[in-house]
Amino acid sequence: MQSAATAEDAIFLALADPSRRAIFESLTQGEAGVKDLTARFDISQPAVSQHLAKLRKAGLVKGRRDGRRAFYSVEPAGMQPLVNWIARYRAFWTERIDQLEQLLETIEE
Amino acid sequence: MKLDDDATRTLSMQFDLTHSPAKVWRTLTEPALVARWLLPIIGQPGGHADTLEHRLEPGATFTLQAPAQAGWDGVVRCRYLAIEPKTRISWAWVVGAIDTVVTFTLEATDTGTRLSLEQTGFAPDQGQNLGGARYGWKMMTGKLVELLPTLPEPPKAIR
Repeated sequence: MQSAATAEDAIFLALADPSRRAIFESLTQGEAGVKDLTARFDISQPAVSQHLAKLRKAGLVKGRRDGRRAFYSVEPAGMQPLVNWIARYRAFWTERIDQLEQLLETIEE
Repeated sequence: MKLDDDATRTLSMQFDLTHSPAKVWRTLTEPALVARWLLPIIGQPGGHADTLEHRLEPGATFTLQAPAQAGWDGVVRCRYLAIEPKTRISWAWVVGAIDTVVTFTLEATDTGTRLSLEQTGFAPDQGQNLGGARYGWKMMTGKLVELLPTLPEPPKAIR
């Protein structure tokens, strides 16, 4: 918590949309092309591309080009901010409970 | 003090305090005391800094102010969810789009109080980001976080 919540926010917001979640989950099975994803979901290709752009902006997926075709895959490091988030809170609470113990010494029942 | 070893899952910590549950309860529920160990409580709209008393009942809200930093104003929005006097108190802990529940459980011991702290899931009636938040939390505390680093790199583009 002692750090910007921005990266975590971006991840949560990117995943707030059910279609984007479905696309992201699909990509955890392996790399896929925009056309494959369009066929897999009942969404237009431009819409799929927009969802992918938002997922990429949040750091959750990465893209590559092969000629005229675009392929996307999960960015393995994308979830790291969330893992860090837990670690930061652990440190935060440890420090605060230390303060709580000091406070308890000074107050009455 | 004992830390849960399972550091990558839901946040769960235990602390053995050499003070009675009644006293520990005060530090968890009296705003003036909460402000002294946790974070400053900032006034409700229209309120004053010295009138931070809020009702100790489910649904009552209060706001904590952590140091602001780039990308975050430091505000933690809180709302009581469950209160069992001298036994358990939980409140929603909302920072930006991340919506969690913090629960303190008190247990009398021979030497004082065992204080358990858990930060988990999400309050039942959250706003528009609930879907993403719930899903993000599920991934964060679930298998996906462990799975992702093991995924093979995709083949390089053929040029």
